[in-house]
Amino acid sequence: MLTSADRISGIFFLLFGLAMYLYVNPNYIEATEGGNISPNTVPNIVSIVMAVCGGLLALKPTNHRAHSSRSMAITGFYVALLTVGLYAMSWFGFEYVAPVLALAIMWAIGERRPLWLGLGVVVVPAVIWFLVTQILGRALP
Amino acid sequence: MVDLTTILAGFADAFTLFNLAFVLLGVALGQFVGAVPGIGPIMAMAIAIPFTFGLDPLPAIAFLVGVNKGGLVGGAVPAILMNTPGTPDAAATAMDGHPLAKQGKPLKATKMALFSSVTGDTFSDIVLITVSAPLAILALKMGPIEVVALMIFAFSILAGLIGNSLIKGIIAAMLGLLFASIGQDPENFTPRLIFGYWDLFDGLALPSVAIGMLAISEILHRMSEAHGNVQSTIVNKDTGNPDDRRVTWAEYWSCRFTMLRGATIGTILGALPGIGSTAAAFMSYAMTKASSKDPGSFGKGNIQGIAASESANSAVVGANLIPLLTLGIPGSVGAALIISAFMIHGMQPGPLLFENQGRLVYGLFGAMIMANFVNLWVGQIGLRIWVKVVSAPESIIFASALLLCIVGVAMATSGLFGVAIMLIFAVLGYLMSSFGYSLVIFIIAFFLGPRFEKSIAQSLALTNGDLTQVFKSPVAVALLVLSVVSVIWFLRKNAQAEQGLPLDEPSE
Repeated sequence: MLTSADRISGIFFLLFGLAMYLYVNPNYIEATEGGNISPNTVPNIVSIVMAVCGGLLALKPTNHRAHSSRSMAITGFYVALLTVGLYAMSWFGFEYVAPVLALAIMWAIGERRPLWLGLGVVVVPAVIWFLVTQILGRALP
Repeated sequence: MVDLTTILAGFADAFTLFNLAFVLLGVALGQFVGAVPGIGPIMAMAIAIPFTFGLDPLPAIAFLVGVNKGGLVGGAVPAILMNTPGTPDAAATAMDGHPLAKQGKPLKATKMALFSSVTGDTFSDIVLITVSAPLAILALKMGPIEVVALMIFAFSILAGLIGNSLIKGIIAAMLGLLFASIGQDPENFTPRLIFGYWDLFDGLALPSVAIGMLAISEILHRMSEAHGNVQSTIVNKDTGNPDDRRVTWAEYWSCRFTMLRGATIGTILGALPGIGSTAAAFMSYAMTKASSKDPGSFGKGNIQGIAASESANSAVVGANLIPLLTLGIPGSVGAALIISAFMIHGMQPGPLLFENQGRLVYGLFGAMIMANFVNLWVGQIGLRIWVKVVSAPESIIFASALLLCIVGVAMATSGLFGVAIMLIFAVLGYLMSSFGYSLVIFIIAFFLGPRFEKSIAQSLALTNGDLTQVFKSPVAVALLVLSVVSVIWFLRKNAQAEQGLPLDEPSE
């Protein structure tokens, strides 16, 4: 039970709340004089409540189960893929990166049928390009 | 308040061929996307919102209303045909819809879902149009002290009803408030928690946060489930009997009391922030089964079961707009998304909306009425097509949805910085839902945060920092007492749940 999902998240929010209250809020919120409510009042209250609730949750967890570690690892892979895709998009643009990103995602999911791959890699980005640039008159990222 | 001229002008604005075209497009798109397993109406709305950026407010809102209403009808299709509801709302529909489809009557089941959905939706829209303006007048009489008390009350209800534990609900709300405090302080206008990124000075963009948490995190979750296992095509049986492909008037009329009960339950629960359509659908289903002369037929393909759940869950949608339009408090994920759409188009939900943009509000009501008729019409023609849509593989759906979200958020936030924020919140949303924290509470707290803080500052200014003045406002006192009562009630309910005692009603 020591490593139940609620204990882990409870300890995380306890530490996160304390870190916000003791380090982040004092250093990253500009103090001002006057006014009815100081800029750090709400963040401080929120941080304290979060830390207290996190502590309570760690002490008295529910029987909630988190996703399996395999599922989280797969999600981590897709997040990494999207991060690389977005970074590439900032350099080369949507037109060049979107088909590659779509192919990578579809391939990773397990799609091997040429027709569906063709639709996802060619038709979908082309439709988005047409919709955004030609119909809406906006720029693609 | 709103005079008759404004009301008529609003309806006249709505009932144009131009707006009808956008409603039609929205409904068709909503039904299509809703029928695609794994997307559903909420994700369809999230993806569609940024694409309305270039439109005038009324056609944009009309389009989104169409997507929302169409998505609800389309969402019943995978629930009935595959027994895998894309949204929790449709789970009750699947209980009788799927057995009916397995008997070779998929079109009868989906059409009954369509008719009951439109009936329930129309009922709640009429209630919304009738009561929202008088409620807004009452809300306008509330000052900052009452507004603070109202928000505390809303938070206390949301925390108990949506989360699976009160503590987790509070943590989700606090996290939402914390992220809402990023950017300039509402009173002193000094930067807070921006860590040197001046793009954050105006705060985190609602489309980035909402789409990241609600759409992308769900896609990530489903992609990890589908990884290496593309879902195969579904084969539907059909008896070939024309009567099994339609719903007769006699069948529809036999469900009139069921639909009326469902619509009433959905409207009442929908008007209360946080209860949600799943509770309404299951409550209506349970009451219909309990009052039936043949309860044993439920779960085996009884159309009364479909009528009960669909009329209730659709009625919630219109009623959800009552607290949103009158008080500015979103009561569900869909309502939170509608708020972000309103804000993109310069509308600030709350009691002043009727005073400042009354014509647009009644235009919205007109669009909602149009969308109900169009939903019925498109559904009659489209259901045969949407039934085939469920065979689309998840691989192309997820890839397309991700690209659309990236482009949509980039357009709404004018660059890739907003998309990066979206990805961060997608990861946060995935982790929060994985660990059992409510994303709805987070989003609602995130939206209400700045207003909450501003109201506190105004209350302190009005009372010269003397909070005992609160006790001079009977409305504020009543709301605070209600907050305490609801928190105690939820604590009791949580304790009952932990001890394994039966709960009073199904939770979200």
